[in-house]
Amino acid sequence: MVIDSQLMSFFTAGSLIVIGIFAALFLDNLIKKIIGLAFLGDGVNLFIITMGYKPGGIVYIFLPDMTISNFAQTAAYPLPFALVLTNIVIGASTLAVILGLVMVLNKRHGSLSAAKILRDKGE
Amino acid sequence: MIEYILMITTVLGAIIALMQRDLLKAAILTGIPGISTAFLFQFLLAPDVALTQAIVGSAIVPVFVALTVLKTRRTEEES
Amino acid sequence: MDMNVLIAVMVILPIASALFLNLLHKKDRTIKIIAIITAIVLPIIPLLTPYGSHFFGGYVPLAQDPSLAQGLPALITGSQLFQFHLGIMYVFSSAKQLMIFILGLITFFAIFTFINESKRPSGVYAFLMFMGTASVSAILLSDDIFNLFVFFEIAALAQVGIVIASGIKNNYETALKYILLGNIAGPLLLLGIVMLLGITGNVNVTDMIFTLKNGYVNPQSPELLIALALIVFGWLYASGLPPFHTIKSAVYSKALPHGSALLQAFSVFTMVAIGIIIIRLFSYNPFTNIAIIGISLIAMILGITMAIVQTDYKRILGYLAVGELGYIGIGLGLGTAFGITAGLFQAVNEAVITAFLFIGFGTILYKTRISDTRKLGGMMYVNPKVALLVLLAGLAMAGVPPLNAFQSKLMLIQASIQSGLPELGIIMILLSIVTFMTFMKAFYTIYMRPKPKELEVLDNTIPRSTVISLVVFLIVCLTLGLFPEIATNSLQTLAAGLV
Repeated sequence: MVIDSQLMSFFTAGSLIVIGIFAALFLDNLIKKIIGLAFLGDGVNLFIITMGYKPGGIVYIFLPDMTISNFAQTAAYPLPFALVLTNIVIGASTLAVILGLVMVLNKRHGSLSAAKILRDKGE
Repeated sequence: MIEYILMITTVLGAIIALMQRDLLKAAILTGIPGISTAFLFQFLLAPDVALTQAIVGSAIVPVFVALTVLKTRRTEEES
Repeated sequence: MDMNVLIAVMVILPIASALFLNLLHKKDRTIKIIAIITAIVLPIIPLLTPYGSHFFGGYVPLAQDPSLAQGLPALITGSQLFQFHLGIMYVFSSAKQLMIFILGLITFFAIFTFINESKRPSGVYAFLMFMGTASVSAILLSDDIFNLFVFFEIAALAQVGIVIASGIKNNYETALKYILLGNIAGPLLLLGIVMLLGITGNVNVTDMIFTLKNGYVNPQSPELLIALALIVFGWLYASGLPPFHTIKSAVYSKALPHGSALLQAFSVFTMVAIGIIIIRLFSYNPFTNIAIIGISLIAMILGITMAIVQTDYKRILGYLAVGELGYIGIGLGLGTAFGITAGLFQAVNEAVITAFLFIGFGTILYKTRISDTRKLGGMMYVNPKVALLVLLAGLAMAGVPPLNAFQSKLMLIQASIQSGLPELGIIMILLSIVTFMTFMKAFYTIYMRPKPKELEVLDNTIPRSTVISLVVFLIVCLTLGLFPEIATNSLQTLAAGLV
């Protein structure tokens, strides 16, 4: 194949990270900011997974009919995948906390605009 | 070949979700990059992570965001 | 039983107690008893624990336990994999003992004052405090950089929770801002960590250093620089150095006094822990030290000058606390053993003094429910004893002998002169004077000028437990000021190992 799929995957992860940071910093609506943060997390996860990927390798599950040395040479690197599992859970739980905060703030300010809610009143 | 299509849907889905004015649509469209990355994980030899991401990215996150939108306001206000 | 299990208990006990407290609802007496017992045990454990390492799940390096390596092919036993740390590893040394002891002490007094000042102590608030302490202890102990990231996220959530629980005006807005920034900084820190993982193939700091030092990877590669930048970004967020100084001081001012006392201890120790890891990994690169010194200098100047113009005394303290972080950073950034010892000593001192100040000024909030200095005055006559204690705390922060920050600031100035940077010493002296002035201005307006007519002092007496906490903090300050060797001797080993 002409284009390396691992490299392309890195680019996808990079674009997700850039889109996420852009949305979190420059969009005014809080829900959009949060969606951006979810994309940022997805991008980082994809980056990690791509790093553990081995082109032409096998899944890192040791089956009885494999030999250790063959497995060690062809399997993908499982450590990054373990990190991603943890990170997905962390990301989802933080998301829930932020959404809860947004619901309370919408009740108080009657708005979802970051400019209105987060304006520092000099206190 | 399928992985390139998935990569394109991931990025395009993310951009389209953020361009919606209707926040409920944006919340539901968040699932597209979520499920695409799940398939990408499967392609990148990480089936267990793909399972988790398929649930979290395509169901839990969009539903949480959509519930918040339903409890607050549906359209983005003019600034 | 292997005594090193106690290393893990330092993290597990507060988590277990926190989870249990969270289940109890409306059982005030039980909550009080369990919280107090856990809080008493917390500073005691590090004193009993012998130095050493704890391997979770018993995964020692293969080289230490040949029975694990039986039947493995030469592909594994013949390579460096044989020496690598396979599981999560906690390292406990004399410096960490001192820092976790001080953290436990501050947690104890935060819990102690919280339980006695509030009529209905909520289990959830104690849960958040213990979770924070557990995660900061883990950040201090962990030698595994991904484990550090997990606890970094838990600590951020616990801090947000403490702010949400305070009930002070506009606390939700500050909490949202803090968690939004945290959700940008967290993934970026993770990105830095996994770039290190991609380059070295490891998440264990000791193994990473081994691969870097022995030429398995090129230390000058640009990917390592990007990883450094991303990790430093996460470090700035966790410790509240610029550009996060505004939000961090807002977080301190939106928490209750005991909460702020604990929050600043979290920032100080997280800053030290991640700072040590950055120095361990990247000290070969002269750019690291320049960056740390530069950031710290900006933090000092911005923090202390912004404190001058504030009118809310909690905000003043918040900015001063951020400014004092700069002193620690300069010590770490100097890169000499003496400089790092001075920086670590300053960290220990600052954690104690700022907790002292926050709880001390907290009595004003308790008596008047007001935190705006413009509306306050004449508090000296309400309670002269507490006023004296607060004055001593302020003197300690400014570095007046014989209190502890004098010793550490003196050491910092000596270290900067030794490293050929006397300018830093001069700036530190000048900023100490400004700190002193800022504090005295706040102290004068709150305590000494005539009482404004519309100011109402509530008819509640300050709980004895609060006064006891203040006295104990003063004793710690005096002890460390008169006998600095207690602290510096145990910090020296760590500092010498970093150079």
